Amino acid sequence: MKKGCLIFAHNNRDIDYAKLALLSGSLAKKNLNVPVSLVTDQSTVDWMTESKIIDRANNTFEHIIVIDRPKTDNQRILHDGFEKKVIPFVNSSRSNAYDLSPYDKTLLIDSDFLIFSNRLNQYWDTAESVKLAPAANDINSTDRLGYHDKFISDTGIHLYWATTVMFNKDLYSKLFFDLVETIKSNYKYFADLYMFNPKQYRNDIAFSIAKHILSGFQTDTLNSLPSLLTVIDKDILYSVDGKKLTFLISAMKAELQIATAIQDTDVHIMNKQSIIRNFDNLMELV
Amino acid sequence: MNEPLQQALEFANYRQTFAIQHKTIKEKIDAKLTVGWSGGIFKIDQSLITFVEMLITMGRTADVPLIDSNGNPILIENLENFKTEIFDRYFTACHEYFQEYEKLKKSRSVEALLNI
Repeated sequence: MKKGCLIFAHNNRDIDYAKLALLSGSLAKKNLNVPVSLVTDQSTVDWMTESKIIDRANNTFEHIIVIDRPKTDNQRILHDGFEKKVIPFVNSSRSNAYDLSPYDKTLLIDSDFLIFSNRLNQYWDTAESVKLAPAANDINSTDRLGYHDKFISDTGIHLYWATTVMFNKDLYSKLFFDLVETIKSNYKYFADLYMFNPKQYRNDIAFSIAKHILSGFQTDTLNSLPSLLTVIDKDILYSVDGKKLTFLISAMKAELQIATAIQDTDVHIMNKQSIIRNFDNLMELV
Repeated sequence: MNEPLQQALEFANYRQTFAIQHKTIKEKIDAKLTVGWSGGIFKIDQSLITFVEMLITMGRTADVPLIDSNGNPILIENLENFKTEIFDRYFTACHEYFQEYEKLKKSRSVEALLNI
């Protein structure tokens, strides 16, 4: 049974997802000791060549799988500390992960999820075919996450986070990803059915509905991956010093920032620009 | 801003940093206290260690079903090997937690907390 990690990266004009994927892939390869493959599009590969990271990418990724760039009208507000911007968001190809993955057991991660431990290696052989992160765990001591970070809507079902997904190549997983594709293709119908806002396509929501349906219309947060230690995009990755990552955490309802530092802990850093700013220092941890 | 208020705000800042640092250390230790075994996931704590030790004392060392952290029954073929693994992980993680927490307690400024 071949295990491996899979990352999707489609650049847009503001975020260099290829660079993020190179970093998260390199860290996953080092700390989980598994091969890593990248799913991307030709324009992103061209940018990797132009920005001279293609050689490192070829050394890091076992396969670079080039697909058609997904068409999307998706936009999202992305914070970088106190600043914010509306950016296009190309995220609709993840439902193809089952067909694209070259591995029997796949860990699918977002490119802003940085692996600094071997924690996820404990989960490869558990019985469940598809495992998701059941929740985000705010790095702040007081939870700043909103209701819609925990449920898909005001009256909706539990929200899983598709930032980390582990799946086996089997009939159940095939059924799961086919269902995610169906939900994506009929997003407005499912928005009516599950009463969430369809304005922006979210993998978290599509994966949560698929999980809910295939669990017999029940919430099952057991048999999952660990919760994600999450640094929200209003926080800033301030510096990387040796193995220590120092963050400035935004306090609730105030323009104050609290400093904190972590090391040897997997972390979901939603402020992508601050990862890019610290890219060179982070790559030294690989 | 008067001095007492300034000092209070600085202390509040220190306490918030302390709380976040404590939380992230616990997160790291929690990860080390989770073990995957025979298709199950076990959270290593005193009750698991005590129960496994008791089973071995009672002579049940092979093919023992245990309930994992997800509530699933998992067949442990060799309980001695399982015990060795959870003992090692527990004491390594607890020593690390103890050392890091001691440093945390002794750090009296935000700068010192960040240098742990």
